[in-house]
Amino acid sequence: MQSRRSFLRTSAVGGSFAATVPGFLAGTFQSLSAEAEARSATQAKTGRDTPILVVLQLAGGNDGLNTVVPFANDEYHRARPHLGLAAADVLKLNDQFGLHPALRGFQVLQDQGRLAVVHGVGYPNPNRSHFRSTEIWATASDSQKVERHGWLGRYFDHACSGQDPTVGVALGRTRPQAFAAQKPSGISLENPQAYQYVEPDEGKMSDGGSGRPFYRQMNAEVGPSGGTIQNLGSGHLTVDDPRAFLERTAFTAQTSSDTIQRLAAKVKNEVSYPANALAANLKLVAQLIAGGLPTRVFYLSHGGYDTHTHQLGAHARLLRELGDALAAFVADLNALGQLDRVAVLTFSEFGRRVAENQSGGTDHGAGAPVFLLGGKIRPGFHGPAPSLAPADLLNGDVRHHTDFRAIYADLLEHWLGTPSTPILGRTFPPLRLVG
Amino acid sequence: MNQLDLTPLPEARWNHAAAAHLLNRAGWGGTPGEIERLHSQGLPGAVRQLLDFTAAPVAFTEPDWARPDPDRATKLAALRQATEEQRQKMRREVQQENHRHLLELQQIWLRRMTAEGAPLQEKLTLFWHGHFATSAQKVRSARLMYRQNQLFREHAAGHWPALLAAVTQDPAMLLYLDQAESKPGHPNENYARELLELFTLGEGNYTESDVTEAARALTGLTYDRLRQEPVHRPRLRDPRPKHLLGETGDFDEHGLIRLITRQPAAAAFIAGKLWSFFAGTEPSDEESSALAAELRRHDLQFAPFLKTIFHSVAFYEPARCRRQIKSPVQLLVGACRQLERDLPPAPLTHNSLRLLGQELFNPPNVKGWDGGIAWINTSTLLTRHNLALLLTTGENPLPRIQRGTKPAGSTRARALAIGAAPVERLFGDEDRKSPEALVAAVERRLFQSRLPEKDRSALLRFLESQETHGPKQLRGLLRLAMCTSEYQLT
Repeated sequence: MQSRRSFLRTSAVGGSFAATVPGFLAGTFQSLSAEAEARSATQAKTGRDTPILVVLQLAGGNDGLNTVVPFANDEYHRARPHLGLAAADVLKLNDQFGLHPALRGFQVLQDQGRLAVVHGVGYPNPNRSHFRSTEIWATASDSQKVERHGWLGRYFDHACSGQDPTVGVALGRTRPQAFAAQKPSGISLENPQAYQYVEPDEGKMSDGGSGRPFYRQMNAEVGPSGGTIQNLGSGHLTVDDPRAFLERTAFTAQTSSDTIQRLAAKVKNEVSYPANALAANLKLVAQLIAGGLPTRVFYLSHGGYDTHTHQLGAHARLLRELGDALAAFVADLNALGQLDRVAVLTFSEFGRRVAENQSGGTDHGAGAPVFLLGGKIRPGFHGPAPSLAPADLLNGDVRHHTDFRAIYADLLEHWLGTPSTPILGRTFPPLRLVG
Repeated sequence: MNQLDLTPLPEARWNHAAAAHLLNRAGWGGTPGEIERLHSQGLPGAVRQLLDFTAAPVAFTEPDWARPDPDRATKLAALRQATEEQRQKMRREVQQENHRHLLELQQIWLRRMTAEGAPLQEKLTLFWHGHFATSAQKVRSARLMYRQNQLFREHAAGHWPALLAAVTQDPAMLLYLDQAESKPGHPNENYARELLELFTLGEGNYTESDVTEAARALTGLTYDRLRQEPVHRPRLRDPRPKHLLGETGDFDEHGLIRLITRQPAAAAFIAGKLWSFFAGTEPSDEESSALAAELRRHDLQFAPFLKTIFHSVAFYEPARCRRQIKSPVQLLVGACRQLERDLPPAPLTHNSLRLLGQELFNPPNVKGWDGGIAWINTSTLLTRHNLALLLTTGENPLPRIQRGTKPAGSTRARALAIGAAPVERLFGDEDRKSPEALVAAVERRLFQSRLPEKDRSALLRFLESQETHGPKQLRGLLRLAMCTSEYQLT
């Protein structure tokens, strides 16, 4: 059921839309609200008012020390004679730490009180394999234990049973490991233009050949025409039934394709985004959020952070893309009236070695900072900053002080509003980063 | 299913559908004519032909770049003497050339699969590529990937210890899992660990100390970068005794492999994995034991083991037929064979396989491709439906994957990328007599079974909605049939 509060907000947002955009959008808005209402009998929450988590992996192992730079720390400069960033160059956050100069986008967010930094995040017995460490972050497992399902997949299983499959949207052509669930949920979407059944050009000629209505017919019979996806998600579908799984995915693909095409075409972004792939994905995410897709979690990845050689230029380029893209995203969400219900978490599978290597780069490390961005996060620094004194390092790596699962627990409890213990398998000390 | 029935299928049950199942799983499927020819040979004849990799040799000339480079020493010396800037330029050029060669290599392999030659050999080669997953992204040499691919082909249905020995010394593997970096003081454990965990025994069947000791046993084996060959360097060898899997001795890689393959878990592990790959269902513990016993009975030789599988009642159980999700390679190669069409050119096949999640020579990690339902998500499924458009009409609706960080481009401009499927050849006069006959012909060609009623009626209604049933409509019909859930299964 929609609460009165959410209804008011929906109306208010709809109203602000109507004032600034052409009339057809208001129509879309109404029809989306109608859809949400139709679903409300089986779905506890609609897409209009629920908090949304955007998870962004900086894939490859981001160099945390050159991202949130301890510019006043002599150990830092001793370990990094070539790569160390000077106090004069960084964007200072306080008298100890500053952002990489390319992260101007984050500085803006910091000034607006929309940026939180958690120092020294990691896990015990760190693993330096990209694959394994990503898996540990994705499944929220202990370092030595292999888990089958992802932490977000377990969240879908526990808290979103029977909801629209777009409850989880991964931008990319794979299903992220974090989404792996007992009952597969979520969609994967790489390019909205390609996310549809494409008609042959020759079919558009006068003598026919169009298969679209029949394609729809084939993929529509799994559920009643009203689109009660909930009926499909519950219970009987197991991975042991590949035919049922395919039918459900085809149905989900078709219905979500229709919605996404419509939203991508009709919801207009309020700001312009920089020209890079991450920004393009975030731009689409903003459209989908503003359009009311009932998504709780968006998952994105920004790759290239494995900077073993010639790090300076490459890292600056990556962080500029990251900061500019996220700053545009936050500004857009704000203008679209959606910022208060969105929290962005960025993480990387590990940080990098404190000492630079012989090739102008850094090797795989351990602990690193994590960012949270949004309208309702608690800004500033959280958690103790790790010492860089050689004696305090773990095999040359930054030790972690905050277990990444404590951040997950916080996001689950205080943002997504669900008990974290059943999802994470144990209770983590409470942090308060959001809400 | 309680017991795995490995006794031979009675002759009475060897029919067209069984022959289709065999060709789908032990190969890449085929045309109705090919299936019928296999059927007519009888089951023993059909299996014999599939396992005879020399029966119809495919002529492939080895590309120049796959041979050892006579100028390598000179090039390496030039690289050493170059300035940093020159070095970067040279590296970039080598990388670009390498990328071209990898595209070529992938296409050569796909052609081998599509050819009539030795489908089972190519299928096993793909199995071993997934099993011993090695990525060109780290190896950075098309030549070494080519060599590894040939290794898998040569040992495709060979002897397990011999294949393990060959892989352990394979240059691409030496680089990929860092054996090339191993030093006696700090032996690199990467290969040793994966050898035990992912390649031979599986988790729980060895200890952490076995990993360390196996890494010590492997010391001395490294990679000669100049000759691009494996090499044993005595000075890198740790000579102290190794305590491995309950035994003690100065084991080298051969001793290590002997010890591993003698473990009770060894036969069950690889036999079970082969069974899953071909039969499409995970074996229970009991089933694994039966399969392991069969592989041991043949002294860890794969050819006779596979012969038993492909003859077995269990392999043809209805619960195992048409319920395996096609891998992207199976989908692409199988469709080209069924549609009797050419493989699209290299950039298109490469792009398709990447979008579908199975870029050859670039598995996602050392575990290889997960397979099964992991092939399918909403994005890859829509890509499968659009690949069907490419293969039937020749129009390319697939977005180009941009390298680097530029956003993906528009997909609107769609030139006719390749030729259309030769529909005139695929449907005879009898087939064209009625919509029902056309649908039956599609079922025979693409599914070898009757479609579920909802798909069948959609195809029929499509045909009834068309005024004529010319080539365009027939292509439309095939494309629609390839968009069914049923078509994703084999």
